[in-house]
Amino acid sequence: MRATRRLPLLAAAMLWSATAAAADWPEFLGPGGCGVADGQAIRTRWSETEGIAWKVDLPGRAASSPIIVGDLVVVTASSGPRQDQLHIVALDRATGRTVWHRRFWATGRTLVHPTSAVAAGTPASDGERIVALFSSCDLFAVDLAGRLLWQRNLAVEHPRSGNDVGMGSSPRIVDGTVVVQIDCQGDAFTLGVDAASGIDRWIVPREKLASWTSPLGLSLPGHGACVLLQGQQGLDLRRAGDGVQVWSWQGACAGIPVAARSGSMVLVPGDGLVAVVPTAADAAPAWRSSKLSCGIASPLAWGDSIACINRAGVLGIGAAADGQLRGQVRLAGSFWASPILVGTTIVAVNKEGKTFLVSAAGEPKIVAENELPGTFTATPAVADGSLYLRSETALWKVAAP
Amino acid sequence: MRASDRGPAPSEAWALRRRGSLRAAALFVMVAWPACPASAADAASPEPPRSQAEAVAIAEQLARGVGPGQPSGSVDQAALAAAADRLAVVPADWILPCLPAIGLATPAGGNWLRTGLERAVERAGDGLSIDDLAMVVTDRRRPARVRSLAYGWLRDRAAPRAEALLDGMLDDPALDLRRDAVEKRLVAAESAEETARRDEYRRCLAAARDVDQIERIAGWLSEHGDKVDIAAVLGFVREWRVSEAFDNTRGVGFAKAYPPEASLPAPPETSGWTRVESADRHGAIDLNAAIATKKGVLAYAVADVRMAEAGTAEVRIGSPCAVAVWVNGLPVMAHEIYHASEAIDQYVAAATFRAGPNTVLVKCCQNEQTEPWAADWKFQLRICDAVGSPLATQPATPSPP
Repeated sequence: MRATRRLPLLAAAMLWSATAAAADWPEFLGPGGCGVADGQAIRTRWSETEGIAWKVDLPGRAASSPIIVGDLVVVTASSGPRQDQLHIVALDRATGRTVWHRRFWATGRTLVHPTSAVAAGTPASDGERIVALFSSCDLFAVDLAGRLLWQRNLAVEHPRSGNDVGMGSSPRIVDGTVVVQIDCQGDAFTLGVDAASGIDRWIVPREKLASWTSPLGLSLPGHGACVLLQGQQGLDLRRAGDGVQVWSWQGACAGIPVAARSGSMVLVPGDGLVAVVPTAADAAPAWRSSKLSCGIASPLAWGDSIACINRAGVLGIGAAADGQLRGQVRLAGSFWASPILVGTTIVAVNKEGKTFLVSAAGEPKIVAENELPGTFTATPAVADGSLYLRSETALWKVAAP
Repeated sequence: MRASDRGPAPSEAWALRRRGSLRAAALFVMVAWPACPASAADAASPEPPRSQAEAVAIAEQLARGVGPGQPSGSVDQAALAAAADRLAVVPADWILPCLPAIGLATPAGGNWLRTGLERAVERAGDGLSIDDLAMVVTDRRRPARVRSLAYGWLRDRAAPRAEALLDGMLDDPALDLRRDAVEKRLVAAESAEETARRDEYRRCLAAARDVDQIERIAGWLSEHGDKVDIAAVLGFVREWRVSEAFDNTRGVGFAKAYPPEASLPAPPETSGWTRVESADRHGAIDLNAAIATKKGVLAYAVADVRMAEAGTAEVRIGSPCAVAVWVNGLPVMAHEIYHASEAIDQYVAAATFRAGPNTVLVKCCQNEQTEPWAADWKFQLRICDAVGSPLATQPATPSPP
């Protein structure tokens, strides 16, 4: 195992971005993309008939997660025989009532693999506006009243962008820039767009390789707000405001699960799990673990710990500092949704609709299992002790305890 | 509805389309910019258009949105958002006169106009005339998108009235309406006795154009004694002559013109090529079977097709491999995408055909991926009108000498 002597200094200096109000869950994996809801607790038992605040049938399919912005729960979907009707729906957080519903036509390709969806990327909000990116490479920005502010039809601008497995990347809003990652075999690029106007701030080409990862926002001393882009062949760290490259790292990275941040490191799924330090001159990983590996779901990092769900449905928890495995627990089923941490409990939803609550303190242990009907590929959201679980076609709010 | 309120017939739409963009831009400055919101409060109370003519002018400008080829990343879309705000507050009886502008819309413009009109429709509630909506839905001269949008608004207000209209739409040129009409007949037939149901399903099979619907109908008919040739129903070109394999290691062959392609636009010399007739349910030509199971190669395939009329038709190809297509020696499309899904009608492009015999040339490239799911080397192709009705026939296969 490689020593990590330089880490404490960097850890002290490095600040990670988190821009939304604490009660919100404004983007993929929540505030700052960490997947962590500190200081909250959710109920341990629910079913279709117990512990549900409300359930809403949605206007179409999706693999995207709900986000929570103020009084709104916002979801995306697509519908129609060709899945070319795109939806952004805002629901009242208290009641599930539809507050507004915007419909758009897809302007790009809408073929996707049956396990994915045209609405696969999770929308993001900076508290003033909501941006949503669909597999058709359509990017929309609406305000909190549902008013279209701007749109970018990226497949019209870049006709060979997109792929027919389905694009799954979620947009990020970092320091006023909407960053979208269009990784595909055709026109591959990363675009930084002014969040207020939709006007280009920067665009950089990417390797012509498909991936379904999402940009990760972070702040670095001396560089300000940055965004980490993960492709199958490595990492690319760029300033969010102007797209200038700050650092890069070459190495095998997974094409779907997204790296997690832990102190000064990013923990990157790929050949097992690899810890690298952004901006480090030394390209060698801080550590590499073959016992911690991710399937589809992204790793979850908190405190000094890291958790991964592998392709066999085994949840492993290890030490973020050195990658040592601390314990494992076998869940069941396949996991497309990424795990999140609520208080000291890991919440992991399998594709078949079973949610495992796993104690994250000490040896991992399943403390509860709850099931809802449907196919679940969306990562859950949590706010104020309520859990939001989305199947392909419905959204449940699990009432706070 | 008064005749003057019906919006343009196709000839009028053409005239509208030909109006100069300068005039439109000037009009837009006059009608929309005065209402550009300076604040959220302004957006909440935009100045309504002063007349129906002004509302229609705003709708037409929104439809143009960001023009084709115009880099949307450099366009300030605030004026479009402000125009949509103004359209959102038009009186109910001005909404349908604005709707024909959808037929003029660019991809971005369609969404700008739709968002403005749908907000107006929400405000209008029951003030929107059911009779007027029904007239728009049933007017086949109007663009499919206009009619489908109106159908959705009608269904939201008067579902029985909307569904009754479907009875006359089994041969409708608007694909979504036609699909709903077929679906209605299929559901109604489920309660009929078997003979009547079979007759109804045969009618539906002739009318249906969506592959999933055709598959469902054919499945039931096959289970009840009717043998359905799906490839014939969908109109796949099944008789081809296939070349030898050429080098495509590291993808070098996609952009390289081997002899069959180098002679274009003269027809390729195909003596000595292998004659292949697809027996596949979906008309696929399996090049692994026709030539040999190889990686890093490409092959050409030529088909003779006969068209009843000269004109433009859609070439629709599906392949997990990189493909290029020529019709009568002229390039139609090229997609350098490997093993990122496969679907019927995956790539669609318009081509010009002669009445009578035509030659279709396909280049199908296999890469060197070694995963089991990357083994397929095949394509399927059909030639259709915009709705998906097959247009090409093939001359009878000559007897071998």
